Amino acid sequence: MRTHFSMMAAAAALIFGVSAHAEGVTNRTIGYVLTNKSWATYQTPDGKAECPKGFNDGPREQFKALFPESGKKRTLAETQFAREADVWFPSETEPLGADGKPLPYIDVSGKTALGMNLDGKVGPNDFTSPEGEPGIDNQLYRAVGCATGFRGPEGAYTFFQNDYMQRYIFNRILIEITDVDDLVNDNDVTVTTYRGLNPLLTSANGKDFIPGGTQRADERWGKRYIHSFKGKIVNGVLTTEPGVTKIPYADTFDTNVDLTLMQARFKLKLTPTSAEGLIGTYVDLKEWHHHFAVNWTSHHASYGQLSVPSITRAMARLADAYPDPATGKNTAISAALAMKFSQAYIVHTDPKKKAVASAQKKNQVADAQ
Amino acid sequence: MRVYQTLLAAGLSVLALVLANGAAQAQKQAVEQEDYLREPMPAGFQVVASEIEGPVFADASGKTLYKWPLRGLRNGDVGDRKNAPSNCTDEVYKENSGLMSPYPPGLGLPDVATRRSCVALWPPVMAGANAKSVGKWTVIARRDGAKQWAYDGYPLYTSDLDQKPGDVLGGTYRKVRGDYPGVREPIGPHANIPPAFTVMEVGSGRLLVNSSGYSVYSWDGDAAGKSNCNADCLKSWSPVLAAETSQPQGEWTIVQRSPGVLQWAFRKKPLYTYIADTRPKSLTGSDEAGWHNVYTQQAPAAPREFTQQDTHAGIVLADAHGKTIYTYACGDDALDQQACDHPASPQEYRLSICGGNDAARCLKTFPLVPAAKNAVSPSRAWTTIDIDPLTGRFAKPEQAGSMHVWAYRGRPVYTLADEKPGDVDGDAWGEFYGARNGYRAFWIRDDFYANAG
Repeated sequence: MRTHFSMMAAAAALIFGVSAHAEGVTNRTIGYVLTNKSWATYQTPDGKAECPKGFNDGPREQFKALFPESGKKRTLAETQFAREADVWFPSETEPLGADGKPLPYIDVSGKTALGMNLDGKVGPNDFTSPEGEPGIDNQLYRAVGCATGFRGPEGAYTFFQNDYMQRYIFNRILIEITDVDDLVNDNDVTVTTYRGLNPLLTSANGKDFIPGGTQRADERWGKRYIHSFKGKIVNGVLTTEPGVTKIPYADTFDTNVDLTLMQARFKLKLTPTSAEGLIGTYVDLKEWHHHFAVNWTSHHASYGQLSVPSITRAMARLADAYPDPATGKNTAISAALAMKFSQAYIVHTDPKKKAVASAQKKNQVADAQ
Repeated sequence: MRVYQTLLAAGLSVLALVLANGAAQAQKQAVEQEDYLREPMPAGFQVVASEIEGPVFADASGKTLYKWPLRGLRNGDVGDRKNAPSNCTDEVYKENSGLMSPYPPGLGLPDVATRRSCVALWPPVMAGANAKSVGKWTVIARRDGAKQWAYDGYPLYTSDLDQKPGDVLGGTYRKVRGDYPGVREPIGPHANIPPAFTVMEVGSGRLLVNSSGYSVYSWDGDAAGKSNCNADCLKSWSPVLAAETSQPQGEWTIVQRSPGVLQWAFRKKPLYTYIADTRPKSLTGSDEAGWHNVYTQQAPAAPREFTQQDTHAGIVLADAHGKTIYTYACGDDALDQQACDHPASPQEYRLSICGGNDAARCLKTFPLVPAAKNAVSPSRAWTTIDIDPLTGRFAKPEQAGSMHVWAYRGRPVYTLADEKPGDVDGDAWGEFYGARNGYRAFWIRDDFYANAG
């Protein structure tokens, strides 16, 4: 199969005059479909390096801390309604437990994180990458890295967001790299994001994603997901200039949530069959809270000790970008998404890409605003 | 004879509607009501046409009949078991059951001072001492020995919300996916359709699908009782073939495409499936010019000033400004699983998730949808009601501060503050994705999930 694939690529290279290095590239274009994603979380096996104080409590543990069993009769108004109110309209401070102290929350205190240097600076709160690069901006990791649900691969949130992404079409994310002369070194390529409309291609066991599938680009409902980035490929690693993109980010049954990635930039190791790496970005606090509260209700958040209100408060405390002109409070937080893609052939429903061009133009205007 | 019976049945359906709604209303809706299979019924029961659910069984006064089928919740079951006594009793619960995660049992309910019992809200349909079973209609003894009618083994009830024949305000066939409460469901006769078809209730109406759940379509290019879809047309559209032994029934006829090749037709229109459909209940084929999904009856018309908006997943109903319309669903966690989604029910559940227990913030976050004082609804499903916006309860029309608002199935509808046309950020807002205590967008079409049905 691989041989056949290579022969086809070689034939395409001859026909279109593509460099011999551009294996897998057809018409100076190669597409990929997202198969795995998670909020980039650096973790050691026992977690002691990044979370020496241990891990955070979730809704059930917090409920017990707030309302310990003492024989006292309580009402829904005192308990459930108060907790749900805090999920959807989080207070600024942690509620007081039965011991009179605010509920505890544990941030990551390690020095290492996955991510990118988004602001070009090395600040006192920045992390260092596992490879030793300083200035890594990923305060979202500081906020959620000691919540077990975000850890991988066993963390409930990390597991299920991949499960649902793979199970439902809504979250199908494509990248199409065009103007490619060489998949190893090319100083001027364009990366365009789309939503795809097809299931992922897997091996017979249904778990291993394989390249070569077809994905129709959603150029009707998914126009809001079409964005282009200028980029370059150096030694097989694609990097792009920062830009705004929106991705579908619904992690459970029938939910319809988007997430806007601000100043997003790709850093992906490319091969003819796969792409793997990070998107470094800033995310808006309110939008992130909404996506998390909708995707991960109190019941589900109880798996993996994820307290939506406590995580929201931690993010607000650690936010590091987009200060509100009126209050000075930061409204966004640095973050990174770890992603894996498989090569796919992207089919455009409109051969002339009129819808794409239209959407791009519209999105560019919106981005500029 | 069969044709005559069906015509008679269709006539009776319309007649029932006339009686129920008055002549003017019937004139609006006499078009395309779902036909149904007649079955033996005990005296005192009838079939009544309804806008959303199609034909439903009703008692002698026209009140829709419901069942409460057993439903597994996170920590246990609620509802009635088949061929067993009713679990709907006169006990007034004061605490939650803890059957829903993650909150424990034993917490005081918000309406404990005014709460009514299950039988007050869902009066059992009692049977006389000499009542005899007829077909699927049987008699089950309640725990106190009284006799109650059952259908297909499930005890029957009416809803105190239903006032007029054709009201189905106590429940619906449509359900959101996920952890919805132990709800009551209306019961009705089987649609009069051949075995190769099914009717599915979706946002746009009672959709006709094949036995695999895939939509069937009709084409404007066909003549009545004759298919003109040949050659290239057949590359995209597959005629729904009838077996040689198939027989016409009711509004169903059989078209001969060529000698020995038979095709089903509904209301004289030949039926097809769309080869590009990749999922059941799809509306994708109707994007092709001249092609239409087929319904036994369309969804009731929304208020005239309302609009439809494209979103990132399909089409939603929206207000005059293009803002998505949201409905609110709620069921409490007491053992009798009472609804909390109606102006007559406790509002504390909704206030917790729409305003953090702050009524003013709730109203700002999820505003009601105002209706003109003289607004006229084009359907029974949509009505105007007067609401006290700060309590969420019914108000008197001239009550100070009250709002005249649009309601669907007797419940107010909402928009979400600051949304633009096509936004659906309020969808799944609340507990369990809006299935248990929360808001859902009014989906008319959803190409990705089952939100439209």
